[in-house]
Amino acid sequence: MSKPESIGQFEQLVLTAILKLRDDAYGVTIHSKVEELARPKAVSLGAVYITLDRLEDKGLVASRLSDPTPERGGRSKRCYRLEALGERVLQESVVTAKRIWDVANEAWGKDWGKRFGKEAI
Amino acid sequence: MGPSKMAEAIVAIFIPPACREEVLGDLCERYRSPFQYMFDALCTVPLVIVSRMRRTSDPQVILIQAFAMYLSFLGAAWFVDGSLLADRWALIRLAIPAVLAMAGLVTDDAYRNPKKRGFSRAPFLGIAVVCILWLDFRIPLLVLLYGAGMSLLLSSVVRLLFPPATDQLQGVNAPAYWLERPGGPPVEPLLLIRILKVIAAVVVLAVVIACVTVLKGDFR
Repeated sequence: MSKPESIGQFEQLVLTAILKLRDDAYGVTIHSKVEELARPKAVSLGAVYITLDRLEDKGLVASRLSDPTPERGGRSKRCYRLEALGERVLQESVVTAKRIWDVANEAWGKDWGKRFGKEAI
Repeated sequence: MGPSKMAEAIVAIFIPPACREEVLGDLCERYRSPFQYMFDALCTVPLVIVSRMRRTSDPQVILIQAFAMYLSFLGAAWFVDGSLLADRWALIRLAIPAVLAMAGLVTDDAYRNPKKRGFSRAPFLGIAVVCILWLDFRIPLLVLLYGAGMSLLLSSVVRLLFPPATDQLQGVNAPAYWLERPGGPPVEPLLLIRILKVIAAVVVLAVVIACVTVLKGDFR
């Protein structure tokens, strides 16, 4: 079995956004979802494009052009979907994140998020 | 309500053709005001260009091409008038055409339309570089002409051996990645290409070192 690609935190966010959006995953929607996941950090649309290109080169996502729509000035969307390898890599990242979460809970207690003023933990 | 045709046309000029359709569409969909549109475009387009450059150029091939071009200009200077190389900044000055030409070639690859097989703009780029340098950097015209001719030849050989990624299938034009690699990545061909590139880089490096050694010997 081949060794899966290693991915960074931003790539994990983009893959998660594509996973959540399913058939509606394209530049604008992926950017909105990534901003929601990365808050309070601001995310630029350009950074999302660069990451999508890199993930496509790594073979973790695939893209296709949709039909043109009037709200986009008659232009097509580039829709993305997770490849099997992308799903596997994301699953491994989630498992690692879960381990970090467990250790943090063990070290700082269950309500550490509230104590440190972290939102939505 | 959407952006004006004029604003869209200006932004479209700067977006590489391979991703123009979807980026312009996304910017149009996010449109709220002319100022917001231009700000969005200013923040997004440079990163789109960088991403396209990264996809269409291979750092190892660029390095080989840059060495080939630098060697060409160095050889031309030596051939035309060896005393030119005695100048303190001569070696750096002769690197300027190679750096400018490489920057132009990388940009040209990024902006080439993968759907159209048009002519290469490299020769015109070379002529432009020659004109600019002749005017500004005190490099003799004959050195520039010989160097440009030789670098065009060597650069073409390198590009024939390692074609730019614009000619390869990418994104929507390519089959799904998992279809290309059942049972794992194609390790052998990739490894072979990398080994070939490393060998080519080592050869170019050896040639450069040999030339520099010979040039140093001549001055003494």
